[in-house]
Amino acid sequence: MATLKTRMAPTRPYEIVYIIDSALEDAAIAEKLEKHHGLLELAEPAEIEHWGRRQLAYKIGRHEAGYYAIAKVQAAPGTLPEFERALKLDESIVRYMVSLVERVLGAPALSEEEMAARAMADDDDDEDDE
Amino acid sequence: MRRPKKPCPITEAGIRFVDYKDDRLLARFITDYGKILPSRLSGVDARHQRQLSKAVKKARFLALLPYVKGQTG
Repeated sequence: MATLKTRMAPTRPYEIVYIIDSALEDAAIAEKLEKHHGLLELAEPAEIEHWGRRQLAYKIGRHEAGYYAIAKVQAAPGTLPEFERALKLDESIVRYMVSLVERVLGAPALSEEEMAARAMADDDDDEDDE
Repeated sequence: MRRPKKPCPITEAGIRFVDYKDDRLLARFITDYGKILPSRLSGVDARHQRQLSKAVKKARFLALLPYVKGQTG
């Protein structure tokens, strides 16, 4: 029945955010992600968005910066526990978060000017009421 | 006297569902100490405020936003 199970296992869309030790080389990071994604038994390769190194908003242990990578995958829920166990054991993964993609997030991306214009318009927006 | 309702800034930005990874957007809806701004002050509608609240909490976990701002160490 094992073959039937793997063939039929329905998949769901997940988004996985990784914060990886920023001391690691880019190549090592890519390799590490690939190794971990292997545990998910993906039919299609993960779609990975690399944000790269950025400052953490607060210190996590000894880390003040981290390498952010976001992976979008179609995985069977049954593969997740083993995958997460491996992530927890991996000391170079500072933090991770797996979330189910239920809806399309955000909006058509705002351009820099639009953001600036909005920020300006919002300036007179606080401390009224009462 | 009731003030006319403020338009929801998130609806105006054309956002259907708030993205927890968009720290620049989320940063506009937290106070100087890092607390979530009440919708009474920001004018965010109830649906988006609920999404915002979850998104800010996820973003904090991912160290995109601080739990407490203006604190050292």
